[in-house]
Amino acid sequence: MSATNKTLPLPSPDPIASAATSLRRRITAQLSFDEDRFFLILAVFIGIFAGLAVVCFRITMEWARLYLLGSSLTPSPLRAFLAPCLTGLFISILIFTLFSGAAGSGLNQTKAALYISDGYIPLRTVIGKFITASLAIGSGHSLGPEDPSLQIGAGLASAVGARLKLSRKKMRLLAPVGAAAGLAAAFNAPISAVLFVIEEVIRHWSAGIFGAIVLSAVSGVVTMRLFLGAEPLFRIPSVGVIRWQELVAYSVLGILGGIASVVFSKAIGWLRPKLKATPQTLQFLYPGFAGLLIGLIAFAGFPQVMGAGYDFMDQAMHDQYTWEVLGMLAGLKILATTLSLCSGTPGGMFAPTLFIGAMLGGAVGSVERLFFPHLTGSVGTYALVGMGVLFAGFLRAPITSIFMALEVSGDYSIILPVLVANTFSYLIARRLQAVPILELITRHDGLSLPAMEEKREAETLNVEDSMRPRPSIILDGAKSAAEAWPFVSHTAEPCFLVAIPNQPPAQISFGELRHLVEAGDARLLRDTQAITAVPYLHPDEDLEDALPLVTRYPLIPVVNRADLSQVLGVLDLADVMEAYRKSRSEFPAPY
Amino acid sequence: MNVLRRDFVVREPLLVVILVLIAVVFSTVTHAYSRAYDRRRNQLGQQWYADGVAELQKDRPDTAVERFRTALLYDPRNWTYRLSLAEALTQAGRTKQAMNYYESLWQVNPKSGIVNLNLARLAARSGEFSETERYYNGAIFGDWAENASDHRREALFELIHFYLQRKDTSNAESQLIILSGNLPEDPALHTRVADLFSQVGDYPRALEQYRRAIQLDPKYFPALFGFGKASFRAGDYRSAEAYLSRAAREDSAGPEVRYLLDVTQAAAALNPFDRSLREADKIQRTLHAFRIASARLEACTKASGNPATLPAALASLQEPWKRWKIDANPSYLSRQPDRIESLFDFSAAVEKHSQSLCGPPTPEDTALLVLANARPSDEK
Repeated sequence: MSATNKTLPLPSPDPIASAATSLRRRITAQLSFDEDRFFLILAVFIGIFAGLAVVCFRITMEWARLYLLGSSLTPSPLRAFLAPCLTGLFISILIFTLFSGAAGSGLNQTKAALYISDGYIPLRTVIGKFITASLAIGSGHSLGPEDPSLQIGAGLASAVGARLKLSRKKMRLLAPVGAAAGLAAAFNAPISAVLFVIEEVIRHWSAGIFGAIVLSAVSGVVTMRLFLGAEPLFRIPSVGVIRWQELVAYSVLGILGGIASVVFSKAIGWLRPKLKATPQTLQFLYPGFAGLLIGLIAFAGFPQVMGAGYDFMDQAMHDQYTWEVLGMLAGLKILATTLSLCSGTPGGMFAPTLFIGAMLGGAVGSVERLFFPHLTGSVGTYALVGMGVLFAGFLRAPITSIFMALEVSGDYSIILPVLVANTFSYLIARRLQAVPILELITRHDGLSLPAMEEKREAETLNVEDSMRPRPSIILDGAKSAAEAWPFVSHTAEPCFLVAIPNQPPAQISFGELRHLVEAGDARLLRDTQAITAVPYLHPDEDLEDALPLVTRYPLIPVVNRADLSQVLGVLDLADVMEAYRKSRSEFPAPY
Repeated sequence: MNVLRRDFVVREPLLVVILVLIAVVFSTVTHAYSRAYDRRRNQLGQQWYADGVAELQKDRPDTAVERFRTALLYDPRNWTYRLSLAEALTQAGRTKQAMNYYESLWQVNPKSGIVNLNLARLAARSGEFSETERYYNGAIFGDWAENASDHRREALFELIHFYLQRKDTSNAESQLIILSGNLPEDPALHTRVADLFSQVGDYPRALEQYRRAIQLDPKYFPALFGFGKASFRAGDYRSAEAYLSRAAREDSAGPEVRYLLDVTQAAAALNPFDRSLREADKIQRTLHAFRIASARLEACTKASGNPATLPAALASLQEPWKRWKIDANPSYLSRQPDRIESLFDFSAAVEKHSQSLCGPPTPEDTALLVLANARPSDEK
């Protein structure tokens, strides 16, 4: 409904004034939108703002790297040793004095803002995240820019929404819109960003929200590409033909990826609460200490683990390392990222996850080539699939992981290995690590945010799950009350279904039937006013849809979709409640 | 809610204008920021690239690889940097890495002539026949930044050499025929092609190309020498003598030309199979050949000191030689003309067996051997 219809001014007797009013009215009608349409326009602007912010963020990160680690691809040992440590201490000062909300990856903080403070993220947090994360990643901490970009996008959206004084409902929707734009711009992959936000951030979504998220993600990516170009973060090798025998190797990759994901999650799950439980003064030192250890790893000859590592992923994809080096890099990256993340240094988990996956995939591809040189395709394809494998296993975003590989490679022939490997990885990770990493971090922080994995996998109850079998007594509508009475007189049922040929069954209460008998009414049941039409259900309908009906009617017939007169079962309030009670006991809450 | 909606009606156009203005200001700031960084990136990229080139010139390809990789960090799309990295990897002997890198460049630009050529060379080194052929063809039909026809021709020459290394003369010859049809008026190129035709044994085409080269530059030594050699191999000793004589008159002629000329002249004088010869001349030439072979055999026997220590091959020739010494005269051969060829074959066998045992042959010895080898098998 258009808002303009509600503010029509009174007609003016003055013809000039009248014409002016009419003109103003037409212009207003042309220019104005309702809140929903304005929300879509706002989504585009938020996408642009988030895209611009991500461009600035990435450039700042690069400047920081230049000044802190030098311009060489592999920093000098002294810089590698000192830069992450000293910068870590400086970041601690910033977090403890100015930007207390800037610690962490940004993903959980965005979810927390969405579910706890109606999507509101203070601008100070956004600025803090921008500065601290760019310093951390630029100095070589093993973290990525995607999750902070997600939070920066969501924070900007929140700031815009707050200035416009949007309703609480819209404010809550605006944060995911900004988050998708920020992530899309950081990762240069709008589809994956949209799916990730839907899969991991928002709980309920509709077509309208989906449209807004897509618009913002696309405008974010377009804006980013205007400044930084359309090239992906790493060059993707051609996938080529994948032989069926190779699926065995991809399965092995999935299994190894699942195990690596579990090791990574367990390491964080073990170390993070231990560090959080220590006094504040010690926590202040952790980013510096983590930096020192990462510097040691780099000093020992593995500077590739520093920073986001996209350039080294590119090299792994183009077969520039041996399998031993690739395996070593995967292990060391798990260690370095665990240290950086658990120390509370601001920065994301996306890039390290992709790095570990790429190295692991490359290693599996290289080993397979050693033994089966005639079988193996490009090692780059294994590295690409490896990225998806870790994404599925560690971040537990299986749908995003599949689409990410497709979007990044632009080649649908990769779908089969991705599906196989990701399935193995996801199932193994689920089996060995019940609580996903994002949930784990949420618990460490003492928060209770919706568990998206559980929600995705929650079993939907249908009518057939709770209905009782067809009742033994269904009265024939072609008989009189006196003829029906002997069948029901001895029962304790309060009401009965009445079968009417080629129609859904009707209902009659025990009292009405007795009244007809006592009044000597000889009419057929279907001709009397005593029977009432009742709504009916089908076995495949959601139990949620049945709930309003069973609270209003004592008994709801469940009928065949092809023959409405055929009663398959019945349902009442007690049946529905019993079904819900059973489902709760089968799936206990994780907390 | 109604109040909110009424507010929207009034303020929405204004809000959109404000948002556009903010976007414009934000974009301008971002643009300035990114330009500043781009300038620095380009500067760093060029600096590291120059370092890489210097390292490559100092023959330190491993260091050059790191330098070029750093340059690419700042300008990942720079084709020159990428090509240089691939080249440095090749020079560093990291063939597999270089191959992968070139392949990634090929994916970006499959028509690049230089990328195809380098891939072909690497594939040839790895012994991948079909890949080598494919990439060479990519280089021949690919894009080149400058002097495209020269580069394409050179790629075709490399492909021909690749076939010749594999002893695949039929493919080499077919590519040579294509190449010879598109040559510019350059005696050096015609001579190169002619040399290759000569190498695959296609002497008529080789001679045709030498002739073109000589037409373009009548004093062009390689073509004159090549023509002489090809004619000699084709058994046309008169032409060979004529062109080798011309070649020998050139300043650049070396002892090789003169030796071949002597051999050619000897072959022309010795050849008993010239169809224009009379019977008496044929006999004279065969007897002359026998005398040369006898001298060679005697020299060999003397050199070894004791006939008992002669190699088995030469020792087996002693008895027939003694018999031929009696029979080798004009009257016997006139009576037994079918023995002329037998005598020549014996002389050739002496030269053949002695060539590796009895020191350097004289031009006449060589000519005798050449005549024996050039003799069609059905005549033998």
